[in-house]
Amino acid sequence: MTKKSQGANEDQVKEPKRKIVPLKSQKEAKEVKSSKKEEDLLLDSGTDSDYDGCSLSGSLNSDDFDSEDDFDSHRETQDDSGHEGSDEVIDSENGEEEDGSDDEGSEQREVAEESDSSEDEVAPRNTVGDVPLEWYKDEKHIGYDITGKKITKKEKQDKLDSFLATMDDSKNWRKVYDEYNDEEVELTKEESKLIRRMLKGEAPHADFDPYAPYVDWFKWDDAIHPLSSAPEPKRRFIPSKWEAKKVVKLVRAIRKGLIKFDKPEEEPNVYLLWGDDSASDQKSKHLTYIPPPKLKLPGHEESYNPSLEYIPSEEEKASYELMYEEDRPKFIPKRFTSLRSIPAYENALKESFDRCLDLYLCPRVRKKRINIDPESLKPKLPSRKDLRPYPNSCYLEYKGHTGPVTSISTECSGQWIASGSTDGSVRIWEVETGRCLKVWQFDEAVKCVAWNPLPDFPILAVAMGVDLFFLNTELGTDEEQQRIEELLRLDNLPELDEAAAAIAKWLPDEKYRGIKIRHFKNLSYIDWHPRGDYLSAVMPGGETRGVVIHQLSAHSTKRLPIKMRGLPVCTLFHPNHRGLFIIATKKYVRVYNLHKNGEPIKKLETGLREISSMAIHPGGDNLVVGSKEGKMCWFDMDLSSKPYKILKNHPKDITNVGFHRSYPLFASCSEDSTAYVFHGKVYSDLNENPLIVPLEILRGHSSKGGVLDCKFHPRQPWLFTAGGDSVIKLYCH
Amino acid sequence: MDGGGEDASKVIHVKFVTKLDSPFQVPSSSVVIPSNVTRLGLSSIVNSLLTLEKHEAFDFLIDGELIRMSLEQFLLAKGISAERTLEIEYIRAVAPRKEEKPSLHDDWVSAVDGSSSRFILTGCYDGLGRIWSSPESCTHILEGHSGAISSIAFVNSEGAENVTVATAAKDRTLRLFKVDTAESGDPTTRVGAYKILRGHKASVASVAAQKYGSKICSGSWDCTINLWDTDEATSELSVAGKRRKGNNQAEETQLEGEAESTFVGHTQCVSSVVWPEHDVIYSCSWDHSVRRWDVPTGKESLNLFCGKALNTVDVGGEGSALVAAGGSDPILRVWDPRKPGTSAPVFQFASHASWISACKWHKSSWFHLLSASYDGKIMLWDLRTAWPLSVIDTHKDKVLCADWWKGDSVVSGGADSNLRISSGISIS
Repeated sequence: MTKKSQGANEDQVKEPKRKIVPLKSQKEAKEVKSSKKEEDLLLDSGTDSDYDGCSLSGSLNSDDFDSEDDFDSHRETQDDSGHEGSDEVIDSENGEEEDGSDDEGSEQREVAEESDSSEDEVAPRNTVGDVPLEWYKDEKHIGYDITGKKITKKEKQDKLDSFLATMDDSKNWRKVYDEYNDEEVELTKEESKLIRRMLKGEAPHADFDPYAPYVDWFKWDDAIHPLSSAPEPKRRFIPSKWEAKKVVKLVRAIRKGLIKFDKPEEEPNVYLLWGDDSASDQKSKHLTYIPPPKLKLPGHEESYNPSLEYIPSEEEKASYELMYEEDRPKFIPKRFTSLRSIPAYENALKESFDRCLDLYLCPRVRKKRINIDPESLKPKLPSRKDLRPYPNSCYLEYKGHTGPVTSISTECSGQWIASGSTDGSVRIWEVETGRCLKVWQFDEAVKCVAWNPLPDFPILAVAMGVDLFFLNTELGTDEEQQRIEELLRLDNLPELDEAAAAIAKWLPDEKYRGIKIRHFKNLSYIDWHPRGDYLSAVMPGGETRGVVIHQLSAHSTKRLPIKMRGLPVCTLFHPNHRGLFIIATKKYVRVYNLHKNGEPIKKLETGLREISSMAIHPGGDNLVVGSKEGKMCWFDMDLSSKPYKILKNHPKDITNVGFHRSYPLFASCSEDSTAYVFHGKVYSDLNENPLIVPLEILRGHSSKGGVLDCKFHPRQPWLFTAGGDSVIKLYCH
Repeated sequence: MDGGGEDASKVIHVKFVTKLDSPFQVPSSSVVIPSNVTRLGLSSIVNSLLTLEKHEAFDFLIDGELIRMSLEQFLLAKGISAERTLEIEYIRAVAPRKEEKPSLHDDWVSAVDGSSSRFILTGCYDGLGRIWSSPESCTHILEGHSGAISSIAFVNSEGAENVTVATAAKDRTLRLFKVDTAESGDPTTRVGAYKILRGHKASVASVAAQKYGSKICSGSWDCTINLWDTDEATSELSVAGKRRKGNNQAEETQLEGEAESTFVGHTQCVSSVVWPEHDVIYSCSWDHSVRRWDVPTGKESLNLFCGKALNTVDVGGEGSALVAAGGSDPILRVWDPRKPGTSAPVFQFASHASWISACKWHKSSWFHLLSASYDGKIMLWDLRTAWPLSVIDTHKDKVLCADWWKGDSVVSGGADSNLRISSGISIS
C-alpha cells in the first residue's frame, strides 16, 4: 500500500497511506446508501456489508446473494479467516485492506491472508517505528529487523548509473524507492492508474461511479416526509430544573438528618425467653454492670409428674421435718395425675422476693479469671536424673533393737553407726554388713546418741532421762584408747560454780567405765561442737537454764550467758564460725555469739507453730528447720530473717532434718513413715539463690511409729533412717 | 529326633558339635528339630542322642553365645538364617550338682579363700581363722585376732607341707600364720600367729598375697594400701628392736612387722585388693574407683570410675585383663581396661537384689565368674549371656564371701555362720 514513485519526496510517500483512512470512511458511508454498483467493488468485504445491511434492513440481502456468486472463491478464504475470529469479520478496516490488495496479485494476497489479524498487511522489514528517518541518515544501517539485527543500507547507485538504468529500462519510471525499508518497489499498472485518478481528484477506483442514480430506500407508506425533520428541543441540552429542585430537597433532608444511611438492624420482636443473659449485658451500656447469677433451671423433680425415684418416702418426709429449716430441702417433689390438678405454687411470691433480696443485698463482683496452663506455673527445676547421686533404694537393714529407734549417729569415717532405742539399748553397727558390733544396755529409754565428730576420738555421747553418758566405743587405735581412758577417768573434778552444780553433776559410770552427768531435768537433745570438746545439752523443762554446755577435757559444765526466751528445742554449734551458737525455741531460731558473752546476733522468724528439729548447711549460711506441722523452712541467714522457702511435704510431724556433709543433699523424716530427700545446692556466688529440688520419697518403714531420725552417711550419698518399727534402714544411691 | 517336629510349623536343621570327651559326643550328622525348642528341649534332644544312663544337663552355644530363649527367638534376635544347617556347640551346663554339708562356725563367716586345692580358709567374726580340709572337718584354728577377721589369704599355697596364711582383721592388724599341714589335726590344732603386722590406723578390710613371692598387700579403712613382707628373717632384722609380747599369749614371742610401703590415693576405705600379677595390684574403694597400682613404683596406673561404692574387685577373664567389681548396688560390672578411651563397663550383670559382697573369676575359664550378694544368693555368670547360669541360694542370710575351689566348687560363707560348698560344677 505504501508505494510511491522513485524520486518523490518523503511527504508524498506517506500520502497514499493517509488517504486510505478517509477512503474507508467514505466508502462505508457510501455502502450504506449506495447502489448495486458498489457490489463489485466491495468484493471481499461482503461480510462487512452483510452486517451493515442487516442492521439497517433486510432489503439488501438478495443483492448480496448475487454478488456472492461472482466472488465465490474469495469468500471461501474470507470464511476461513472468519471462522477463526468472528469479531474480525466485522472489522471494516480489515476488509478494506484486503480489498486493496486483492487485485494486486496472488502474492500479496497470500501474505495478507497469513496475517489474519490484518492490522499490518506486510510486516515492514524495519522495526524502528515511527521515528524521523533522518536519525539514521549518517548511519550504515536503516534500522533493525525483527530479530534485532541491523539492517544495512543498500549501496546507492550513483546518478549516472540510475540515469542509464532509466534509459535502458522502460519500466524504470514505475519504480519507487521506499526509504523506510530501503528497497525499491515497482508499482503495478493498476496502482499507477489509481494514483493518477487520485491526482485528478476522482475516486481512486475506476469502477466507482460517483454519480449513481439515487435509490430511495425509505418505504413511504403514508408518511409525507421520510423522517421527522423537527429540530432537537432545547431542553435536551440544558440541565433539568425539577431535577435540581429534587436534589436540593434531598440534600436538605440529609443535612437535617431525616435520611439515615446506615440504619441499625431491626431487632426481631421475638427473643429467646430462656436464652443467654449475655445479651442483657450488652444491653446495659455501662461497663460496671454485672449480670445477676442465674437461677438453677428446674430439673426432673420439679416436674408435675416426676419419676418415682424422685418422690421422697414417708420416712424421708418425716426426717425432713426433724431437720433445721435451713437444711430442709426447699422443694419436695409431688406427683399430680394431670397438669390441670396442679395447685398454685405457694412459694412463688416468697421465692421471687428472696431472689430480689439476694440481688439487691449481695454485691456482685466481677472476677477476673485468667486462662493459664498450670504446667507453666510450675517452677523450672532441673531433672532428677541430673542431680544424681542421691539415696533412692534400700538395700541394707540393721535389725536388733526391740523398741523404736529414737536416734542414730554416724561415725565420721562412715564405718560405724550408733543407735539408741526406747528399749534402753545403744548399739553400734557396722555399716558395710549390718552387723551389730556392740550393745550397751541401760534402764531408761535412750533419747539421743551422738558420735564425737573427731575421727581419732571415738566417744559416744548418749542422753537418756536426766543422764548423759560418755561411752568409750573401743574402736580407736591403742594410743587413742589410752587417751580416751584417761579422759574418761574422773579423778580430780574441778569445782563447779554453784549455778552449774545445781544443773549438772559429773559422776563416774562404773558399769561401762565412762562418765555420767546427772542433770536436774530430762534431756531431749545433745549436740557436739565440731572440735569435739564441747557438748551442748538441752533440757526443755529447764526453762531459762534449759541449755548447758559441757566441756569434756575439763570435766566442767557451763551455763549459757544467755537469757532464754521460750522453751529450747534444739541447739547447734555453727560449723565454721567458732563462737556462734544457734538455739531453736518453739517458734524462733536465735543466733548468739558465745565469744562475746552471749550477744544475740540474729533472730529468725520461722512462722511455724512448733519447731521440732534443725540442721545447718556445712557452709554455715543456710539453715533448715523442721516443724511439728510437717512444714520445713529453709533460711538463707545472710538474706533475711524470713524463710527463703517453705516446703510443705509431710502430712505429719517432721521428726528430724539433716544436711549431707559434702553432697548437696538434705533430708527430712516424719512420723508419716517417710523420709524426703532434697537437692539443696548453695552457690558460692552470693547473688544466686539456693536451688532446692525435691528428689525422692523414701518409704519402707512400717506405718506404725513413723521415722524418728535420719542421718546422712558422712562420705557416701546414703541416708540412714531410724524407724519406729525398731529397724534402721540404709538407703543407697 | 524329628519326633518333636511334627506339630511345629518350622523346623531347623542343626548339627551338634562339642569339645567334650567321648561319653558326651553325639554322631556328627545333622538332625531336624522344631524351631521353638528352648535350652531344656535341646538338652533333652542331646541326651536322647547320647543315650546316657544318667540325664546330663547341657548348655548350648551358637556363634559363641549361650541360648537363653527359644531357638527361633534367638535366631531372630541375632539375625541368623534358619535355612542353613546350624552348628550348635554344647557344653555341660554350669550348675552345682552336689551340695555339701554346711560347716558351722561360731559367728558370721566373713572371709573365705579357696585358692589352694587342698584346703579352704575361712575367716570368722569371732576373730578366728579356720582351715578346712573337707566339709565339716576343720583341721586348724588360727587364733590371735581381737577383732573380726575381714579377709584371709594363702600366701604361698603351693608349698608342700608348710602353708603360710595371712589374715586381716578389724582390730587394725594383719597376722601371719605358719601351718604345718602334715599334722593330722585330729583334734583341731590351734595355731598362733608368728608375725603381727601393725601399721593401719583403722580396720583392715582386705588382704591379698603375691602369687610367687613373699609379699602381701592390704587395704584398709584408713584409705591406704600397705605392702608387707612375710619373710621371717628380714622382718626380724627390720623390727628387731620392736619385739613385744603378744597381747594374749604372754609366753610366745611374736614378730612385728611394719609396712614396706604404702600406696596413698584412695580417698575412702579400700574395701578390696587383688594381686593378680607380680607387679600389679588392683584395688577398689568406697570412693567409687578401681585403681591399678604398679608395685615397684607405687604409682597408680589406672583409675576406673564406677559411681558406686565398691566392695569387691577381681581380675581375670580373657588374658587375665578384665576387671569385675561389685558394690553398693545390685549390679556386677566388668571393665576391660585394655579398651582405650572409655571407662564404661563392657558387661553389666544385674540379677541380684542387693549389694554385691564378693565376685571371683574362675581360675581357668575366660568366661565364668561368680558373685555373692546380701540377698543370700550366689550367682554364676558367663560373659556370653546376660542371665545367670545358675543361682545358689543355700544361704539363709547375707552371703559375705565366696570363692571357687578346686575349679569345680563354690565355697561361700555368710551371715548364717555357715560355710557352704556347692560342688560338681563342670567348667570345661
